[in-house]
Amino acid sequence: MHIPDGYLSPSTCATLYVGAVAGWYSALRRLKRALFTRVIPLISVFAAFSFVVMMFNLPLPGGTTGHALGVTIAAIVLGPSGAILAISIAVAIQALFFGDGGISTLGANCFNMAIVGSLVAYGTYRLMAMDAGIRSKRRVVAAAVAGYLAINAAALLAAIEFGIQPALFHDAGGTPLYAPYPLSIAVPAMMIGHLTFAGLAEAVIAAGLVAYLQVADPALLLNTSGVSLESGTAGTPTGSVRRLWVAVAVLMLLTPLGILAAGTAWGEWSPATLAQSTPVQSSDPSPVVPAGLVRLSSLWTAPFPAYAPGFVHSRGFGYLLSAMFGVGVLLGLSLATRRLITNRRKGLET
Amino acid sequence: MPSIFELRDISYDYDGVPALRELSLDLARGERVALVGANGSGKSTLLRMLDALCFPARGTLSFDAQLISAARLQDDAVALAFRRRVGLVFQNPDVQLFNPTVFDEVAFAPLQLGWPKQKLMAKIEETLQLMGIAHLRERPPYRLSGGEKKRVALASVIVLDPEVLLLDEPTATLDPRSQSQIIDLIQGWKGSSKTVITATHQLEILEDIADRVVVLEEGRVSATGTPAEIMTNRELLLRANLVHAHRHTHGSVTHSHPHMHSHSEHEH
Amino acid sequence: MSRNLLQSTMIGFGRRLTRTMLSEKIAREHGLLQSLDPRVRVVGLLALVLAVTLSRKISVVAALLAIAIVLALSSKVSPVTLAKRVWLIALGFTGVIALPALFVTPGRAIASLGSLSITEQGLRTATLLVLRVETAVTLTTLLMLCTPWAQVLKALRVLHLPKEAVTMLAMSYRYIFLLVETAGQMFESRISRTVGGLPRAEQRRMTTRTAGVLLSKSVALGNDVYLAMESRGFRGDIQVLSDFRMRSLDYVVLLLFLVAAAAAVWMGR
Repeated sequence: MHIPDGYLSPSTCATLYVGAVAGWYSALRRLKRALFTRVIPLISVFAAFSFVVMMFNLPLPGGTTGHALGVTIAAIVLGPSGAILAISIAVAIQALFFGDGGISTLGANCFNMAIVGSLVAYGTYRLMAMDAGIRSKRRVVAAAVAGYLAINAAALLAAIEFGIQPALFHDAGGTPLYAPYPLSIAVPAMMIGHLTFAGLAEAVIAAGLVAYLQVADPALLLNTSGVSLESGTAGTPTGSVRRLWVAVAVLMLLTPLGILAAGTAWGEWSPATLAQSTPVQSSDPSPVVPAGLVRLSSLWTAPFPAYAPGFVHSRGFGYLLSAMFGVGVLLGLSLATRRLITNRRKGLET
Repeated sequence: MPSIFELRDISYDYDGVPALRELSLDLARGERVALVGANGSGKSTLLRMLDALCFPARGTLSFDAQLISAARLQDDAVALAFRRRVGLVFQNPDVQLFNPTVFDEVAFAPLQLGWPKQKLMAKIEETLQLMGIAHLRERPPYRLSGGEKKRVALASVIVLDPEVLLLDEPTATLDPRSQSQIIDLIQGWKGSSKTVITATHQLEILEDIADRVVVLEEGRVSATGTPAEIMTNRELLLRANLVHAHRHTHGSVTHSHPHMHSHSEHEH
Repeated sequence: MSRNLLQSTMIGFGRRLTRTMLSEKIAREHGLLQSLDPRVRVVGLLALVLAVTLSRKISVVAALLAIAIVLALSSKVSPVTLAKRVWLIALGFTGVIALPALFVTPGRAIASLGSLSITEQGLRTATLLVLRVETAVTLTTLLMLCTPWAQVLKALRVLHLPKEAVTMLAMSYRYIFLLVETAGQMFESRISRTVGGLPRAEQRRMTTRTAGVLLSKSVALGNDVYLAMESRGFRGDIQVLSDFRMRSLDYVVLLLFLVAAAAAVWMGR
């Protein structure tokens, strides 16, 4: 899921950098209002922890292994702002030292994994765990689901970022300039791996760590438990994350808008549309639909036939709808969590 | 002798587990004191409290006739003045060495205290030479040996030339040569105006590093005395779990006598 | 099986550590990049990475790769090191991703393999992707190989990154080594206590438990480091020393970097 340099166009990179900077800024501000100086070393060490955990080979059911990201446990222990910073630092170090993910795509990687990953993980965990006791089994399950969803949300975003490249960025001859696969290929190709191994690895690690902390170090779970904490362990507040969500929503809306603005009809390569009208026609009088594409696209599109619904004729509109759907799911989750938490607080106060 | 620290009936606990219980103690200016006690006797907590990193739950702590409290240390001027005068060397050097290079490590405290650049560079250079770590200045901390780490940790604190130096197990887990270097340093401060308070459970170094020994048991002061007095009090040492009875057999006679160990402390 | 799995994790640790050690070694050589002000290195090489992303022509990206190789040679980084550390890994990774693009990209067929045909557009896009990745990773690696980490950090500070961000980056990197070592020791002691293979569920539990212990230690460490900072006068606003000095050579090379990047963007538009 670490996108290297060269896969995303400069404008996509820039847009996602803007999104990432908004997320970092907001996280820093929220932490500063609390006990920021206290959490600087904690976030740093947590970033190191997540980096090391990414190296672990985790045996998964079914004879495979996977690597976790560590974003879920970061969100559970540090809260969303701390997790955003910690995972961003881990991602930056991977890019600089190990060439794992690019420099121009650092914004994109941080946006997908650190920002959206943390928010989805945190939202899901809070929503599912509610005010269950610190040692409740429910928290373990909540962590597993949070991990699974966080990784897949991040992967879906990365896949969308890949998938819009060929439609938007290609030269006059039809050569894609960046990631070459359209959404119909990028999304399923990306999601198959993440819906299985990577998502599972993150779920296993998150659940395992929550279960471990319940026994060994329950104080670390109190921070985001919604249960008030008296003792003064270093921590971050768990207040509103609304501003971050707004940033996410705005960014997701901008992405399809960019497509509309580009005004291109050179859309997705379903073999049917390719035969009808492609810009390639202008340079080549007899366009050939490669046989491989027919075969591959039927293979790839099978699990996700509804991604860009057939009745939508404008490509841009299709992307917009798809992205809106994603945003809708994320925002809905967040708002529901907030509503539940606020109601509960009010209920406790009265 | 005027006291630099006065502790009165201090209690402190970690999440309900008591670490210090109604502890009272006076530490004189210029004195070299060793705090001895088994693991969990409260040595490290006491040192952290003397460094104003944690505050008494009950009882009072004063430094140079001024009360030390969390509220007073909120004030930047008060806090910086205190940090300038009191330095703590942590037991685990990895905790203390958080900077990218040895030079940055030694420069950290003077920079935070806002020293002018010229004074800062001169003092850093002097400290690097004094501690024999000048050749390591560009090294990152993970490429240092245990003894080197300890010397850098010490350097990072003594660069400020604090009046009070708090040392947590400065010689534990070191090779003999590094140990003796650090003991020499502490010996060198004898008779100076520097107050040096060392927590240790290595009884064999007491004579070298301390004028007075304070024995801690379960968060209380159970005895004080000169190193010689404490070392000869077998009963006390056994009770404080600083030595353990060693049984063995000579022919048909089994007898036991106290046996000294320098336990290597487990970190976690 | 259990042994193999645990050991492969361990070997992973070791390899990454050694690579970083190597990096500091090259950084102490006397080469072109090493002789420049770290800020020039950071700005110059990152400008070239940006140019790689911005230019749209294979020939221009190839020219940037050539510049990167010349920089490597004049900075005593051997092509063998680059090939082993960068080129083969990136080729393996991106090659797999780029390969199907040869066939599925719509366009003019130029060759056929059985029922699959390679299109001109497919060939071009795959080449561009691989070339871009290789060039960008080469440039990033050169920066990190030729510059001690501490100097990269200082250079980042001068570029007006927030001090807090740079401090966290520095501390995080520093503690990776400690945690990797700790994790390695935990795995080792578990290997030594394990006779024969473990069932996978047990392996999984063992790995999560190790991660759990590591997590507790990390948080305790983080809190202690804060105390150690506070003890030395840290009041929330980190004070740093910047002692870089630009020489005329630095300005010249910086200008060359920027001109090269701008030219690449213009020619490759």
